[in-house]
Amino acid sequence: MLELHELAVAYGDVRVLWDVSLRVERGEIVTLVGANGAGKTTLLRAISRTVPVLAGRIELEGERIDRAPSARVVERGVAHVPEGRRLWPDMNVEDNLRLGSYPRRARVDVEASLEHVFTLFPRVKERRRQVCGTLSGGEQQMVAIGRGLMSKPTILMLDEPSLGLAPIVVSEMFAAVQRINAEGTTVLLVEQNVRQALEIATRGYVIETGRVVGSGTPDELLASDQIKKAYLGL
Amino acid sequence: MLVAGLYAAMSYGLALIYGVLKIINLANAGFLMLGAYVTWWLFTAFHVHPLLAPLAIVPLFFLFGSALERTLVRRVLGAEPIISLLLLFGVWLVLQNLAYVIWTGDTRSIDTPFIDATVSVAGMQLAVPRLYVFAMGVLVLVGLQLFLTRTYLGRAIRATAQDRDAARLVGVDVERVNGIAFGIGIALAGFGGSLLSLLFSFTPDFGRTLSLKSFCIVVLGGLDSIVGVAFGALSLSLAEAFGVRYMPASLQNLISFVVLVVVLIVLPKGIVGTLRALRRG
Repeated sequence: MLELHELAVAYGDVRVLWDVSLRVERGEIVTLVGANGAGKTTLLRAISRTVPVLAGRIELEGERIDRAPSARVVERGVAHVPEGRRLWPDMNVEDNLRLGSYPRRARVDVEASLEHVFTLFPRVKERRRQVCGTLSGGEQQMVAIGRGLMSKPTILMLDEPSLGLAPIVVSEMFAAVQRINAEGTTVLLVEQNVRQALEIATRGYVIETGRVVGSGTPDELLASDQIKKAYLGL
Repeated sequence: MLVAGLYAAMSYGLALIYGVLKIINLANAGFLMLGAYVTWWLFTAFHVHPLLAPLAIVPLFFLFGSALERTLVRRVLGAEPIISLLLLFGVWLVLQNLAYVIWTGDTRSIDTPFIDATVSVAGMQLAVPRLYVFAMGVLVLVGLQLFLTRTYLGRAIRATAQDRDAARLVGVDVERVNGIAFGIGIALAGFGGSLLSLLFSFTPDFGRTLSLKSFCIVVLGGLDSIVGVAFGALSLSLAEAFGVRYMPASLQNLISFVVLVVVLIVLPKGIVGTLRALRRG
């Protein structure tokens, strides 16, 4: 449903992505692994149209979106949960979530979506009146994912959802991602936590210094020496 | 203390524009002045009652503000602050000189029975225009607050002010929000100016000192909070009211600037900003 063809992105004179081609099919969990600064975040930002695309194509269900404004991409069903969560710190949890339903397509179902998020993350419901700046890291991440779901996405892009969380919370997070996927949302996941990400993924891509250097099923990737050495410390 | 409503009404726009676009609207004084003149002009030329003038001023100034954002301000967003300061200072000068050309430099004032009316409340004689301006200041506060917290567009404006990229990611067209916020800011300045014309006489130079007080108020309240602005306006007007009891009235304007300096040193985030930081822990 989502295809990237020879995508190139640069910040000013600094080239970040070279000829990246990849594919995400409906219902999959695809994970992108790679070191810090490899360009994973930039890749997601290119898809959500928050960085300009230098060359190449991004196609969503056959329609090119690489020149579309970001609002249009959200409207078409792509939700991007950014690294560092980026909640609005002075708004309460519920306002943060409700704004996730900003696209017109999602507004009619805002109450149902809210209930859905609360079922998925009961702790978020308890905190609904609290200002987001006062939440723990794990709770903030749940609100961030919840906000992404509020736009009723067909594809949910998560950037480092486990970053800075306690191990037990990390496991909860991955379980939630699996549940979201089981309910029919395709997931594109960027993670440093390579092993756990590959455990829930259907396929993975390895990105190094802005290029795709490997891809395959989790088993193939976990078995490859390249991954073992670079990311699993074996 | 009734002057708090006036201070608030003329400062909301400044805070809204700063909150969303992160630029200081130096042309605020120009739009205050223009709001006052348009009110006067509608009254003298068309016998429109000054209380009705905002019905024309608010939509017109909104459109003018959005157009100004789209044509000029948009080009300097994200540049160094000095660029937008100079641009808006230039806009102020243009407005001022246009006013000189159209309405000359003569002092104008609006004179209707309403302006001189008084009521006695609990034994005090209160000027009706002052009460009216205070009520309007409160009304705009409530209206803005409801708009910003209850509507999708209002929430999108707050979201854009707090984190632009996050707003973009939920599908907010932040460029459009910029235009709308600037338009509302200018409309509020025009409305504030229209209210001012009920209390003061004015020339094209009008608004300079008052705008400086606005800067003081928004620094006091926190540059991006509507409630903070109301709070800052109240604090400043109270400080002035008490101040004049103990010092010559001619030094009244000094108070706001002393307050400004003290706040900048002691609470650089403003009162609301400091409270927020405490609440977040």
